[in-house]
This record gives sequence, structure tokens and C-alpha cells, in this order.
Amino acid sequence: MSSFWFWIIPFSALTALLFAFFFFKQMMREKEGNETMKKIAHHIRVGSLAYLKQQYKIVSAIFVIIALIFSFLAFGLNVQSPWLPLTLISGGFFSGLAGYLGMRTATYASARTANAAMESLDRGLKVAFRSGAVMGLVVVGLGLLNVSGWFAILSYFVETSLPSQKLIMVTTTMLTFGMGASLQALFARVGGGIFTKAADVGADLVGKVEAGIPEDDPRNPATIADNVGDNVGDVAGMGADLYESYCGSILATAALGAATFAGSQFSADLQLKAVLAPMVIGAVGTLLSIFGIFLVRAKSDASSKDLLKALNTGIYASAGLIVVVSLFILHLLELPNATGIWGSVVIGLLTGIAIGKATEYYTSPLYSPTRRVAEQASKGPANVIISGLGEGMISSSFPVLAIVVGTFLAYAFASSDFGFGSKSMTMGLYGIGMAAVGMLSTLGITLATDAYGPIADNAGGNAEMSGLDPEVRRRTDTLDSLGNTTAAMGKGFAIGSAALTALALLASYIEALKMGMQNINMNSILINEISIPTHALTLENLMVYYQVHLLNPKVLLGIFIGAMMAFLFCGLTMNAVGRSASKMIVEVRRQFREIKGIFEGTTEPDYAECVKITTLSAQKEMLAPALFAVIAPVAVGIIFGVAGVLGLLTGALAGGFTLAVFMANSGGAWDNAKKFIEEGNFGGKGSESHKSAVIGDTVGDPFKDTSGPSLNILIKLMTMVAIVMSGVTVSFSLF
Amino acid sequence: MKIYFYLSLVPESLIASNLPPEDFGTYYATGAEKQSRGQAIFFEVSPFESNYFSFQDAESACVPHGDGQPKNSVYMGIYRVLEHIPLSSLKSLYLVTDDGKVLGIEQASFSETEPKHSYYLYQECCPTSSIVVSRLNSIDFCASMTNREHPISVSKLVFCDLMLDELANDADSQNIDDLPYERIPHLRNCLHQLEQNPQKMTKVFHRGIYPNVLYRTVNYGFFVGDHTNVLYYPLPSRHKLEREYYQWWRSALNTFRR
Repeated sequence: MSSFWFWIIPFSALTALLFAFFFFKQMMREKEGNETMKKIAHHIRVGSLAYLKQQYKIVSAIFVIIALIFSFLAFGLNVQSPWLPLTLISGGFFSGLAGYLGMRTATYASARTANAAMESLDRGLKVAFRSGAVMGLVVVGLGLLNVSGWFAILSYFVETSLPSQKLIMVTTTMLTFGMGASLQALFARVGGGIFTKAADVGADLVGKVEAGIPEDDPRNPATIADNVGDNVGDVAGMGADLYESYCGSILATAALGAATFAGSQFSADLQLKAVLAPMVIGAVGTLLSIFGIFLVRAKSDASSKDLLKALNTGIYASAGLIVVVSLFILHLLELPNATGIWGSVVIGLLTGIAIGKATEYYTSPLYSPTRRVAEQASKGPANVIISGLGEGMISSSFPVLAIVVGTFLAYAFASSDFGFGSKSMTMGLYGIGMAAVGMLSTLGITLATDAYGPIADNAGGNAEMSGLDPEVRRRTDTLDSLGNTTAAMGKGFAIGSAALTALALLASYIEALKMGMQNINMNSILINEISIPTHALTLENLMVYYQVHLLNPKVLLGIFIGAMMAFLFCGLTMNAVGRSASKMIVEVRRQFREIKGIFEGTTEPDYAECVKITTLSAQKEMLAPALFAVIAPVAVGIIFGVAGVLGLLTGALAGGFTLAVFMANSGGAWDNAKKFIEEGNFGGKGSESHKSAVIGDTVGDPFKDTSGPSLNILIKLMTMVAIVMSGVTVSFSLF
Repeated sequence: MKIYFYLSLVPESLIASNLPPEDFGTYYATGAEKQSRGQAIFFEVSPFESNYFSFQDAESACVPHGDGQPKNSVYMGIYRVLEHIPLSSLKSLYLVTDDGKVLGIEQASFSETEPKHSYYLYQECCPTSSIVVSRLNSIDFCASMTNREHPISVSKLVFCDLMLDELANDADSQNIDDLPYERIPHLRNCLHQLEQNPQKMTKVFHRGIYPNVLYRTVNYGFFVGDHTNVLYYPLPSRHKLEREYYQWWRSALNTFRR
């Protein structure tokens, strides 16, 4: 019976990849438009691939170095799992592959979307959305393939003395594969984020403000880099990010399932089903996502309202169906308190929707917060900045409260214990993991709506640079604006799942500690003068043994350092954008000065040089923040031990999550306040209000596209590193 | 090489050049090395009999460079230039954006196009550079400003009418979101002064120097005239600008008032 459940996972993975290939081929059959459109798309494609090639070169070198260190720790010092170097590289490789395939599709899709929009709005939507679906399905397909592949391999090879320990060992080893994915995601998000904003700021400041030429003008040498940035940051970065979230939520929940049902009172089959449950929900959610993608269709004369309805039909149908189907799955798996666990899955989905709606409320020009920011623009740039910061800070309260309520309910439903008794703790934590899985179960379609946005954005840029008919540009603008609306939901799911996954990972860290103890042959520990075998340790035992309580200064110091890490990381990435943008500015000025005929449009600027300069700068700048994220948990673990690490992770989660929401929403509000003014409000284009709003938008760019989205990965990467290095922490901690 | 003559409004000058209007506009806005940025507005001028300007001298000075490159500009006169050029010599008007995109507009008949409003807003481009509110329509405003019997007058004036939206008929209207003007309360105040004083025909809204015309605020077009005659240069409709002159229009929308 259990093997049947297992085979659903690779089946779903391959189906997703097959449909991704089908959608890719379908998109490639579309015409790319006239020669200018093709030429612009070619420049962007070449630039994007050159960026990724350079990034993967550097990241590969880093992965090899880390894998060698892990090999030494595993085979030399025996403090790590011997699988670690392999799982690390595998996680990194597939995360990078997901980003690469998604980005490659996006770079082929933009001109085709613009060309399809010449025919009608719904044709444009179909090409852009199906191309976004390639990204969504590649991410979930590769994720499920990896998870099921490693599960099969490790189940075959891993041997333990106690049968109930085998699945714990398998799932905690699989968690280490998440570190590779997280590290790759961090490089993709930070590097891509720095690139895209440096190019954007460079293009705007020199092209628009100094030279006075409009946005997306082919005479601007930074224009192509700006469009490349949309692809490497918004598409490849987001793909790697969500691949990591998706796998992380499934792996953490599987590890918690193995630990929860490891006792002698549970059968081996039940433990296996608890491990498979999050994977199966993810797999079935993927099939439902494909179904949802086919529901997104509109008539040829559809209005933008019809298109939004079509997109929402797909998203909500998939989400609604997974709610129903997951109830059957959990009951068929015969998990104890299946309805309660199902309640956690539903709570996860509802929390994601609530955060998505809050994101939309705080960043859409249809609602008062963004309009208030726009109104402040008429008072001057300082007011815009103050107002954007204020609204962003206020906006963080709802998502945090949604996570609080969601976590509370997910825990309570799964444990059937609203009194939060210690006996039902592991079941409650399993519920939190299932909530994250529920939220990401239909990632195939939610990511499609997210990835579709940058494709429509690039299509608009292509239409602009190619001088297409204003009606076509209006259509691509409509598609872009639709993408922004639906992406708010995707962002809600990404942010919410990051918080829930990080919570589940935090619990998994305790399980990983047990594995670390076993790796160094620590087979039992003394608690209250009673010797307890390591494999039989409960969460409470470990909390007592490592003195994880708020009166332990090591926990408090860890919390401080964790909260500080979020700010340090943001500061480093923001400054990196500033430095990279400066290099871009110097280059654009040089080209305007030295290359004759750029202004007349008779000579093409050297686009490649701008891409090259920003690429190298972004690669250099991404290293320091990423290394801090890797080093911090190791250093805190060695100095303050397990208690310090748990404090660090808690501080980073609480501080980082709140900061991430604030930065993303402030940036979104500034951006949309500017667009609201450009639509003819508070003085419209050319007014002092507009000038102030442009300043706000420029400040907000690294907020929403570099630092904010990277924070989610920082939190999870630090947890992953802590999990992977638990053996080192246990073996070498000084205090 | 052919010689063209241009009347530039800022700075007010008559220029001879080997460059045709589009090239001259780009050169004039961005400079020979493309390092300069600045809006330009100029008329193409047919040569005319003049004791004030020496077309002969200009023709002998405006010759291509040794390497065959055209002569970009030979200044024939600055200051009080407009008043010495007959209206009949003015050909097309060229509006150039900061980054050198050029839109040429032709003369048209005026009376058919302008509807009646209670108030108008005019930006004087040459030789004065104020922004004024008025109860006079464009023709009457031009006649008034060029009436030499009036102590405050010029012999010729180039100006454009700017959008007032609903303020054109109701000084207290709140529906003014798309008006990019600073000090809207002052603008209302000026309109109220006209409203309260029927004898008052015009009121200066802004006396500062505005070298830039924010093209997107131009309502109907540009006017040049003296006390007896007014030439009208209509700006193409928004629809036409978006469809036929999109590159220029995008560039014009990118302009901030400086």
C-alpha cells in the first residue's frame, strides 16, 4: 500500500516536467515578431545566459569547496553524515537548474508575448501564462523528483540498528539536501537582486534623469541590462527561491513525521505514511495545478477583468480541490487525527491567501495605504520616504499576526490539544509543517502567476523598444498589471511558507541534533541522573539537556545575534546595490560620451559591456552576505552551543520575517504610488509629486527586489546550515 | 550646402545652419558632443529683407567645415530678434525634447478649434517668460499683449495655452489631479481675482523664468503674433501623438519642469 503512495510522487514529478516541456514547445511555436523584436529578445537572452553562466561558475566553485569541507568533516572527523557532500551538490544543482530553465523560457517568451498581444489581449495572456507555467511546473517537478529520488536512494542504503530509526535517519539526511538548495537560492536571489537593481538604478539615473531619455529606450546602454535583470532576479532568483521553499517544507515535515511516529506504539507502516504524507499532498497538488493551468482561458475579446477572473479561476480551483483531495489522502493514509492534520493543511492555505490579500491591500494603488504614500508625494520626497516606511512597518503586523494565528491553529488542530501540552508537541509541530506544505501544494500554478509577471513586463519593454503600435503596448501593460495583482497572492504564499517552513525546520533541528550525537557515538545522555539512549530522546529531553530556556544567556545572546543578522544582511545587500549601480552609472556615462551616434539612434550602444560590468559586480558583492549567512550559525554553534544556535535561529526568524514583509511592502507601495501618480493623480507626470514619487520608487527598488526577498532565504539557509552542522555544534561547542 | 535659418526662442536668437530642422533640433538640444541636454523650441525662417540682420554675412559664414561636415550654427543676432522678423517669414515650428526628439508642427486656422472658457492659462515663451491667467482667448490675449499703446506690451509674442482642466470654468473645482503645476492654491487665487474684478483681463500667475514648456500640458498649441495678426501652430491630438509621433511623445512625457 505504501509503495503505491510513494509512486504517486515521481509520477507527479514526471507529469509536471512533461507538461512543462509541452508548454515550452507550445510557446516556441509562436512567432517572435519582427526583426527588431527578435534582435532585442536576442540581446536579453544572451545577456541573461551570460549572467547565469558567470554566476554558476562562481557558485560551483563555492559548492566544491564546501563539499570538500563536508567530506573532511564526514570522513576525517566522523561528525557528519557521509551523504552530505552529495546531497548538498544535488540540492544546489537542481535549484540552479530550476532557475535556469525558468529563465531560459522567460527570455524566449517575452518577444512572443508581445507578438501575440498584437493579435489580442487573451493571446498575449495565454503565451505569457503558459510560459510562466513552465517555471512553476519545472520547480515542483524537479523538487518532487529530487525528494522522491533521494528518499528511494537513502531508504535503500541507510542501515540502522533500530527499524524505527531508519526513517528518522533517512529524512534528516534528506534535509541536508535542502542546504544546497538554500545556498543556491541565496546566491540567485542576492546576486540576481543586486544585478537587477544596479541595472535599473543605472538605467534610470543616467538614462532618464541625466540624459532625459525615456525608459526602455534602445539608445540607453543600460536598457538591455535592466531587462536582463528582470530575468535573472525576478525569474531565475524566484525559481531557485521557491524550489528551496517547496523542498524545505516537504523535507522538514517528513522529518517531523518520522520523529512523531517513531515510538514503539506506532507501526513502521504508519511512520512511513507520515513521512510520505507531505510528499503525496505536494504531488497531488502538482497534478491539480496542471488542471488549474488549463482552466486559465478567456475569450478572444476578453477584457482585463475577464482575464483576472480567468487567472483567479485557475488558482482558486486548484486550491479548492487540494482542500478536498487532501482530506481523502490523509484519511486513506490512516494517519491518527487525519481530520486535524487536514485542518492544518487548510489553515496553511488560508494563511497564504490572507497574507496575499494583505500584501495586495498594502501595495495596490486601489487601496488607501498606497494612495496615502502618493498623496504625501505632493509634499516632497522626504514625506514620500517617511510615509512609505511608515506604511511598510504597519503592513508587517497583519502577516505576522496571520502567521501567529495560522501557526496556533495548525499546531492545535494537528495535536488536538488547544492547551499546548508537551505530550502532543511533536504532533503539533508536524501540523505546522503540514500547513507549510498545504500552502505550497499548488505552487505549480501560484508560481506560474508569479513568473508570468516578469515575462509580461519584458514583453512590454520589447514592445516599447520595438516601437510597436500603442494598442500593443497598452495590452502588454494590462498583462503586466494583471501579473502584479496575481503575484501578490504568490508573494503571500512565498512569505507565509517561508515563516512556517522555518518553524518546522527549527523543530527538525532538534531531530538533526540526535543524528549529530549519533554520528559522534554519543549513544546516551544523562538527564536528572537518568541515562536516556540518544534515539529515545524527546524534544523536551533535549531542551533540558542543552538548557534551551529564556533565562539562559546563551539563548538570549543568540536571539540578539539572529535579529542583528537580518539587519546586517539587508545593509550589506543594499550597499552592494549602491556600489554596483555606481559602476553602471560610470559605464553608461562613458558610452554616451565616447560612442558617437548613440543619441541619434544610428549606433547601437555596447549593451554587452553593461551586462558584463553589472554581472561581475553582482557576483563579487553577493559573496559577503552569503558567507555571513553560512558562517553565523557555525560560529554561534561553536561558541554558544545548541542553546545559542536555537536563539540565533529564533531571533533571525522573528526579526528577519518582520523585516522582510516591511521591506517588500514598502518597496511595493513606493512603486505603485509612482504608478498611481503617473495615471494622472496628484499632478501626474512631470509634476513635483511625480519627481518625489520617482525618488521613493528608486529607494524602494532594493527594498522590494533585493534585500526583502533575500531575507526569507537567509532565515532558512541559516536553519539549514545549523541542521547540517549540528554534529559540529555538538562536538566542538566551547560553552 | 543648403543654408537654413532658425528663430530660437530660448535664447532668443536668429541662427543660420547647414543642418535641416530635425538634425538642427537634435544638435541644439544635445550639443555636438551629445553631452548637453535641454529643451529647444524654434521656427524655421525664410530669408527676408532686413536692415537689422545681415543674411549675406550669415551666408558667407555658414559654410561646411574643412572635412565636409555641415556648419551647425552661426548666430546672426540675439536679443530683440523676434520683433525684427516678419510673421510672414515664419515657417514650421519645431518642438524639441531634452534628449533631442523633434516634432515639427505646421500653421493652421485657429478659430475653428478653440472652445470658449471662462479662464485661460498662457505660458509666454518669447520674448517674455511669465505664466499668466487670463479671461481673454488666445487671439485677444495676443492682441492685448502686443498693443503698444498699453505700457506693458511687446511688439510680438510667442506663447502657448496650457491645460486648466475644470479650473477653466470653475476656479474652485477639485478635479485637477492631472495638472502638474506647483502652487495650485495660488493659481486658484489668481483666478478668483479675475472673477472678482471684471475689469481685470490678465493676472500673472508665475513671473519666474520657465525655460521649459511641459509639452504634455499644452492644451491646443502655440501662438505667435503681433497686434494685428496671429499665427497658430496646433499640437497634434493626444491620440495622434500616441499613434504617429510616439517616440517624441514618450520623450516629452519624460520631461520634468526644471
